[in-house]
Amino acid sequence: MPERERALQSLQSTPRDVGPTADDLLALVARGDEAAFERLYDVVSGSVFGLIRRVVRDQAQSEEVFQEVMLEVWRTATRFDPERGSATTWILTLTHRRAVDRVRSAQAASHREDRAARLDPARPFDEVSEQVNGKLEQRQVRRCLSFLTELQRESVLLAYYQGYSYPEVASLLGIPLGTVKTRMRDGLIRLRDCMGVTG
Amino acid sequence: MRTTSADLHTLTGAYAVNALSDIERTAFEAHLPRCESCAVEVAELTSTASRLGLAVEFAPPPQLRARVLAAAAETRQVPPRTARVPNPSRKRWAGGLLAAACLVAAVFVTVQYTESSQDRQLAQLASEYGRFSDFLSTPDAKLVNGTAPNGATGTAVVSASRDEALFLAKGLPDPGDDRAYQIWLIDSSGVPHSGGLLDSRSAPVVVNGLSGAQTVALTVEPRGGSAKPTTDPVMAMPLA
Repeated sequence: MPERERALQSLQSTPRDVGPTADDLLALVARGDEAAFERLYDVVSGSVFGLIRRVVRDQAQSEEVFQEVMLEVWRTATRFDPERGSATTWILTLTHRRAVDRVRSAQAASHREDRAARLDPARPFDEVSEQVNGKLEQRQVRRCLSFLTELQRESVLLAYYQGYSYPEVASLLGIPLGTVKTRMRDGLIRLRDCMGVTG
Repeated sequence: MRTTSADLHTLTGAYAVNALSDIERTAFEAHLPRCESCAVEVAELTSTASRLGLAVEFAPPPQLRARVLAAAAETRQVPPRTARVPNPSRKRWAGGLLAAACLVAAVFVTVQYTESSQDRQLAQLASEYGRFSDFLSTPDAKLVNGTAPNGATGTAVVSASRDEALFLAKGLPDPGDDRAYQIWLIDSSGVPHSGGLLDSRSAPVVVNGLSGAQTVALTVEPRGGSAKPTTDPVMAMPLA
């Protein structure tokens, strides 16, 4: 199973010994196994916190969101369906959504009328790209990103790492809304094919 | 003011990277169970996006570990979902309006209501949203979006075959006392026809009889509405 292999790869990227996969652990967590949750924490916490910090940026807020996410993983592990994807995907999807929720609600609370000013053209996509490039074990991500057109890559990365909505991405890139939606989809499809993701 | 219209199907990528507004996300999720190819693509693209997440590993502060584990030890897990168990009194309502319940949660998150009006509102929403989930399953259902300069968003689910549209708004500012938001359907000659008033700034409104309307627009009018728009639109979305 390619999915299983990938889970193993992600385990290998941590300094811990290869043991049960995140999928195995999450299945045990769903049965209330606290020891499995502890091991799962050690396997996924770096990715979870890394992603939150990338999107939210603020350290104190990132720590809050991180604790909420990890507790939600514990609380809702019973709803994880291995038929619908890997444990890693499930956890990082939840993580990304909570991180984006946090930046969006912060936006809504502060500068609703000042949306344009918040879009910061001085933060180029190169910076995002650099962060991805910095991790040696993510060569595949870097390599596959290089196969995207510039607009595809920027659309996907600005949404994913900055937590921008597609109208915000469109505004930042100066392209129509319909175009940005298409580029996000095309870009992800190209990444999917390059990475051999089967869902 | 920015506008767009798109097939629900093309939103898979934006959905996978969480780039949709709450309303669009909810509408799209309600659409998913009825669109197998969308669901497969969403699963694949979501899995793809999570690889980008794996690429930015960063260790959390060590003290959070004990805190999270302690919190977990004191937190009850949600019960697993079970196979469909017949439970005629409530289940039918819950099942038939599953998508509707999600929509209610998303759309009404900003609405404050008193306890006394709750039952009446729920009854009203049940009928409104039963209709909405029908909309989303219509093959030609299209999602149309508009953004007002103040950040308010409007979403319409439009079905030409049903000759109806469902309009949802979020973040609309208070129009002020004695004023209300009015929906306009603008025909190909540029003539506006009233599509009714928004009862609240976030409640959904069903607009019947599109009859070739090219654009849906929203204006602020005196309470009770106007025969013709008396102010500039705060939002306009092309339907065609």
